[in-house]
Amino acid sequence: MGTNHVGRLYSVALALVVFFLAWAVVAARPWSTSAADPRLKVLAAREAQLRREAQLVNRVVAHRWTAYRAALHARQAEIATAKARSSQRAASYAVAPSAGVRIVTLPPLTITRTS
Amino acid sequence: MERRTFRAMGTEIELLVEAEGADDALDAAEREFHRLESLLSRFRDDSELSQLNRDGSIDAGPDLLRVVELALAARERTGGRFDPTVHDAVVAAGYDRTFESVPADGADAGAPVPAGGGVRIDGNRIELEAGVRIDLGGIGKGYAAERAAEPLATAGPCLVNAGGDIATRGGSWPVGVATGDGTLTLELFGSALATSGRDRRTWQRGGRALHHLIDPSTGASAASDVIRITVVAADAVDAEVLATSLFLAGMDDAATEANAAGVPAVIVGADGRTLLAGGLA
Repeated sequence: MGTNHVGRLYSVALALVVFFLAWAVVAARPWSTSAADPRLKVLAAREAQLRREAQLVNRVVAHRWTAYRAALHARQAEIATAKARSSQRAASYAVAPSAGVRIVTLPPLTITRTS
Repeated sequence: MERRTFRAMGTEIELLVEAEGADDALDAAEREFHRLESLLSRFRDDSELSQLNRDGSIDAGPDLLRVVELALAARERTGGRFDPTVHDAVVAAGYDRTFESVPADGADAGAPVPAGGGVRIDGNRIELEAGVRIDLGGIGKGYAAERAAEPLATAGPCLVNAGGDIATRGGSWPVGVATGDGTLTLELFGSALATSGRDRRTWQRGGRALHHLIDPSTGASAASDVIRITVVAADAVDAEVLATSLFLAGMDDAATEANAAGVPAVIVGADGRTLLAGGLA
């Protein structure tokens, strides 16, 4: 008696499928841990350090820039105040009526001196 | 021309009046000086000013009230260069009694006391902020010169010279002003004049030369390169305030400010230079 040729065909097909699946699994090798390239590790660590330093530098620069702008505004305000005060003084001096005085060659009747 | 001299307010006072037989007017002018000294002197324990400095407040008479008002207005106008609250600073520097009694030399001066203290006026009540005391020495002389000129002017054109602070009424008055290398004469007509400087009221403390013109911002004798400055203004109070303010500015800034404001000034520097400003040049 012979085997069913259809059954044989299915068996062969199944065997082929199983074979290729096994091959794929073996090729993937999920059980093996590949040893990382140490240079990659160093590079990654370096990149992380540089990112941290860059953030730190940016924070320091931002802080200094804020402080500088505040100092600049304060100084500009001081200068503006001093200028305004000087103008106010000059203006207030000029409010008084102009004083009558001239230089002469007459002998003085009295003298002024530091009191 | 009649002339009278006497001492008041720690200096020599000179009265000139173009009239004869002006004794009454001269007496009245002299009395005015003594009256105002009794009110405004910080060296008299019974003066209104001393009472104010002691108690921190006072219901002031019209003269003290007016002089304090003028002094505070001057502080405002000069941006603080003129400040009546320099009392403690000038005392700390060594000028704690009439100048004739101040020792020419002595141990180190006290620490500088910056001015700028608060003074409040409400009606005729003057109140000082805690720890604030005021000195009306400079402005007081100018005020007294103007007040004394009033009774004197009833006799004729006159000039009142209160230790260099000069008020006039009528006439024209040639006044000698010392420069760096001599004297020049300014003729005043309808104006007043004052001289501020560090060449007279000076003394030594701890080897340092000090003088009575205090820089209110530091509380120490002003470090100005000006020896002496003479300013002409409409009245002796204004002239005194301007002279003090411009002295503190220093030579070149004083000339610039005087020129900008048209304030006639003779500025004598420590280097012997003399600058004429405010239209005098």
